Amino acid sequence: MVEERQVIESFLLARTDETFCALFETVCVRLRRYFLLRGLDAATAEDLTQNVFVKVYQHAGELREPDHFYGWLFAIARNEMVSYWRREPPALERVEAEELSGRQAHGLWKESEEAPALRVTELLQTLEPAERDLVVLRFVEGLSYEELAAALKLPMGTVKWRIFNARKKLSRAAGTSRTLRARENVN
Amino acid sequence: MKHGISELEWNDYLDGRAAAEVRDRIEAHLVGCLQCWEFYEQLSGATEELLAAGEQARQALTLEDPQLHAMLRGVFSKVKTGESGSRVQGQLNVLETVLATFFGTQTAISALHAAARNSPARSLDQVTPDNWEPFLERLATIAGAMCGSTFAGLVRERGQF
Repeated sequence: MVEERQVIESFLLARTDETFCALFETVCVRLRRYFLLRGLDAATAEDLTQNVFVKVYQHAGELREPDHFYGWLFAIARNEMVSYWRREPPALERVEAEELSGRQAHGLWKESEEAPALRVTELLQTLEPAERDLVVLRFVEGLSYEELAAALKLPMGTVKWRIFNARKKLSRAAGTSRTLRARENVN
Repeated sequence: MKHGISELEWNDYLDGRAAAEVRDRIEAHLVGCLQCWEFYEQLSGATEELLAAGEQARQALTLEDPQLHAMLRGVFSKVKTGESGSRVQGQLNVLETVLATFFGTQTAISALHAAARNSPARSLDQVTPDNWEPFLERLATIAGAMCGSTFAGLVRERGQF
């Protein structure tokens, strides 16, 4: 964590290709993971991650404070994702309209087999899209409330309130699944 | 559920960030209120589950070095494309201004498109620093045909990177 902060500070101070590469190596995984957990496929997640870093490279001069870095970075990431969804409507709509060939269907099956089964993905399904962003950034990426407020351009109170609501929904869902598991054990 | 505890206070308490006064008040209440205690247990369980799921996602979604380096090369390639694109656009704007001064904007734009069509770029949006020279020469020839060799020389001069 200390090393991560040093990398960010060095980049904001010097903004050379060398410090940019170090920043990329430190932060790239987090950005890609954010896009993957928000439902994008691997190729799109990598493409959008690259686009975010192009913007970081071009606009880093606008940022001075290392403390504001992650809020700024994920604000760019969210804008990039929103632009992507505007250009590309959700695949589900198109899949429903088109019949899949055998090969395509096999490809989809293989992909779902190979993708790691993540608990967080299951949990996110019980939440609204706006809450998913918050939960991923807070509980996977560990952003502070200040960084979340900056990334989502929301007042801090709203961020906390939405996180609290997400917790409530998840506790209800977990309660239901616990009850079902208990019933299965009894039967 | 209220019992004198706001949602924001609950949230701070679950994060271990509540002010000492708020923390003491909540804990004193939890001792005597079964309903709130169950509520707290459920929320606390959900929070722990989220933290564990977050840790699992961090462990699972990583990148191998070759993949990371390929992505980094892609970033620099996109940066370079963007930079050369804006340089070309800047020069095209300069040439359009020069031509428009003499012939008007519409004719200036037509001349730029004609020069691009008859150069290796084939169209204006395909003009790059690599095929800039033949494009500029075509434009200078068109300008010369319209307004003489002095003007052609001016176009060549202003069109240099």
